[in-house]
Amino acid sequence: MSAVATTGAKRDVGLVAWQIRYEQRAFWRNRTRGFFTFVFPLMFLVIFASLDKSSHIKSLGGIPYDEFFVPGILAYGVITTSYVNMAISTAILRDQGVLKRMQGTPLPRWAYVAARVGSTALIVLAMTVITLGLGAVLYGVHVRASTLPGLIVTLVLGTAVFTTLGIGIARLIPNPEAAPVVVNLTVFPLTFISSVWFPANGMPKALVDIANVFPIRPLADGLERAFNPYTTGAGLNAHDLRTLAIWAAVGIFLMLRFLRKPLGETG
Amino acid sequence: MTTTHTQTDGLAIEVRDLRKSYGEVEAVRGVSFEVSRGEVFCLLGPNGAGKTTTVEILEGYRTRTGGEARVLGLDPADGRRELREHVGIVLQQSGVQTDLTVTELIEMYGRYYSRRRPVDELIELVELGEKRDTRARDLSGGQRRRLDLALGLVGDPDLLFLDEPTTGFDPGARRQAWSTIRSLCDLGKTVFLTTHYMDEAQHLANRVAVMNAGQIIALGRPEELGGRDLRPAEIRFSLPEAWSLGDLPDVPFEQRTLEGDRVLVATKEPVVAAQRITTWALDHEVDLGHFSVTQPSLEDIYLELTKSVMENEQTVEEAIR
Repeated sequence: MSAVATTGAKRDVGLVAWQIRYEQRAFWRNRTRGFFTFVFPLMFLVIFASLDKSSHIKSLGGIPYDEFFVPGILAYGVITTSYVNMAISTAILRDQGVLKRMQGTPLPRWAYVAARVGSTALIVLAMTVITLGLGAVLYGVHVRASTLPGLIVTLVLGTAVFTTLGIGIARLIPNPEAAPVVVNLTVFPLTFISSVWFPANGMPKALVDIANVFPIRPLADGLERAFNPYTTGAGLNAHDLRTLAIWAAVGIFLMLRFLRKPLGETG
Repeated sequence: MTTTHTQTDGLAIEVRDLRKSYGEVEAVRGVSFEVSRGEVFCLLGPNGAGKTTTVEILEGYRTRTGGEARVLGLDPADGRRELREHVGIVLQQSGVQTDLTVTELIEMYGRYYSRRRPVDELIELVELGEKRDTRARDLSGGQRRRLDLALGLVGDPDLLFLDEPTTGFDPGARRQAWSTIRSLCDLGKTVFLTTHYMDEAQHLANRVAVMNAGQIIALGRPEELGGRDLRPAEIRFSLPEAWSLGDLPDVPFEQRTLEGDRVLVATKEPVVAAQRITTWALDHEVDLGHFSVTQPSLEDIYLELTKSVMENEQTVEEAIR
């Protein structure tokens, strides 16, 4: 019996890998989508850097602005490639009946979702490499080896949070036309109070409290900590990681609820 | 470990007193039928009759609120992978990953099944050879539909659900699709077809069930449905002006009318009647134009069946009022 189970599990893991291949192929082949997924955050990277090369941020120990916004843009890039991309594409796949078709095949639902999550993780990885590469080449901003653990843990947790939330929120999106609106409305305002574009210091306490509830602030802070030359230790902050972990749990819960519902049905 | 295998003989589908309610509304009200292995079974009915609900319960997309259902010996509500391994589903509207090509999609979906048909064979079967490297996005409606059929067949299913398989096809493409479906039956596959094209049902189905208002109101072979074979045949022709109905020979008839120059003879003995009329015409050198003998069509029967039920419904509603 265990032999049969092992063979079955092995085959399913193979199916996940197989599906990731095709998800990747479909993603990169759609040039417009690929282009805009990447160009949007990277455009900000160039615009922000050209604003004021000489400014320093007093509240962060006087680090150059470059060292603040490169991780800030990376945080935004993680969110667009995972949350925004996942939510919108799930809404489209559901609307086109692809999810319903998948449900009628023997591919286990968990395997399909795992492949979509895995494929998204690869896209986030590509985004990270490009952002860090551009940051290093254009602005001379580098992650230090000592804070690498902080960078990696924050990226992994952040990707988990925003990918699962992206699947979860698809339930609330009635049709694909509404998807960009719902998705941007849940993300964009929060980025302004979450230390993504500029440091959140000096903001009214109410806004700080709001930002602290949601997962964008800890993602941005975690990444910025990894770049800040004054950071001591591995760049891991218990508060940020805890908030991200809680949201990862929320995201997984919402994703599982999504999984339980027949994939073809809304609501 | 207990293994339940899908049955390889006997009934493909067994439904007993199937019911489905959405809140107060009862969409399916006690439906029963059986589909044998290797049969093409067709479910007909107007929109809102409960066809889609019934099929989606059998496909495992919806849960029933009452009654029994068995598909290849398994309960579709259990959502077992084993069942999905042996069932192919061609839905009316279900998309594919539009950035992948025809070949890639057939490969990708094929891998989900432990038994599968070769990619090239499927592409040939649905005649998409010239489009094999075209992305699904760039296919025409009819080509997409043929791709749907290929994806429904990729797991070499024992049972295939086809929902309106030829909607939007031109007549030539429809004939081709029919011959493809017929060839499946030669391979011993069971086909469960829903359609609202009567000629499709007539052409393909071994048996037809007509559904209306959540119930099956007629079930039988297309040529026998609703007592079709027992109804009078209709002989039609046009009579030159010099002649009238009274001049015609004595034939067994149920009804005989003349409208303008068009004669209609409804008869239960069409062979005898036709022979006497044509003999008479030859003897008297009468030129009978547009001579034809027809059985009532499946469509006539269908419209009659669904109409009488609708009228019934209305009288029930009026009675309640």
